[in-house]
Amino acid sequence: MLGSQVKRLLTGVSDHGRQHLLEVETDLVQTAFLLGEAVEKLGSSFFALHAAVSAQQNEVEILLAGIDSDDPKMLRLRVLRDEISQHTNEAVTGLQFQDLTSQLLARTVQRIIGLRNVLSDLAVDGGGLPVEGQEDEIVNMLYAINKNLDVQSNGLKDLLRKAVHQKDMDSGDIEMF
Amino acid sequence: MEKTILAVDDSGSLRQMLSFSLKAAGYHVIEAVDGQDGLDKAKLQVVDLVLTDQNMPRMDGLSLIKALRAMPSYQKVPILMLTTESGDEMKSRGRAAGANGWLVKPFDPQKLTEVVKKVIG
Repeated sequence: MLGSQVKRLLTGVSDHGRQHLLEVETDLVQTAFLLGEAVEKLGSSFFALHAAVSAQQNEVEILLAGIDSDDPKMLRLRVLRDEISQHTNEAVTGLQFQDLTSQLLARTVQRIIGLRNVLSDLAVDGGGLPVEGQEDEIVNMLYAINKNLDVQSNGLKDLLRKAVHQKDMDSGDIEMF
Repeated sequence: MEKTILAVDDSGSLRQMLSFSLKAAGYHVIEAVDGQDGLDKAKLQVVDLVLTDQNMPRMDGLSLIKALRAMPSYQKVPILMLTTESGDEMKSRGRAAGANGWLVKPFDPQKLTEVVKKVIG
């Protein structure tokens, strides 16, 4: 009786867990795709905008040729050029966060797939429990299942080393050797 | 003469940002989608600087550096890592493999071009 209930519990945990994890995985893959598409479009628009602004700047400089460099209009133009350059740098830095977030999402998806496999094995291991077995026999098998779970979970942890540690929008450190 | 930089990264958006920033600073940029592609392109033409990511399919950045340093024509070519990896252990491995510098993503275009200018002029 106990064996039958434990078996049912393990199968239930495995089935429900895998079903929910599959949903999470699907959502994350969709999120990564949409994020990638959105940033690609943003990037293309940004480059087009930058090219247009640069061309406009050149035209303005041609129009203002001959005007004294200390003229307030020229000074204002220089300030605007510096502002554009600063915003461009910030946009290029910001657009790179898609690469970082996609790495984090990929790692999460890999973990979910690994976790699904762990749950799948849990159901297989649980299937071996004797329905009418003695308590000692069931306890020994549960001990073996637990041990296998630990091994698989630790294996997954080792496999998924974290490579992205950034927590703010600043650019990264530079170190010359 | 225009200097050539080999930019190796499996992220299309990152390569796009690198190319944009380096071309704006007057450099010629060759893009490669992973370490193996980078190695193949480096064999076709000796570049002035290699900028490479670490975690890529087929061949990672450290393996690329080791393969390049084994080639006589790349023994003195500067190689910079540009990666999300920021741990000291990974940096030590990069240094041992032959990297000349370590830049953590995301990069600031102005700081990147300053570094590149310092390294190759």
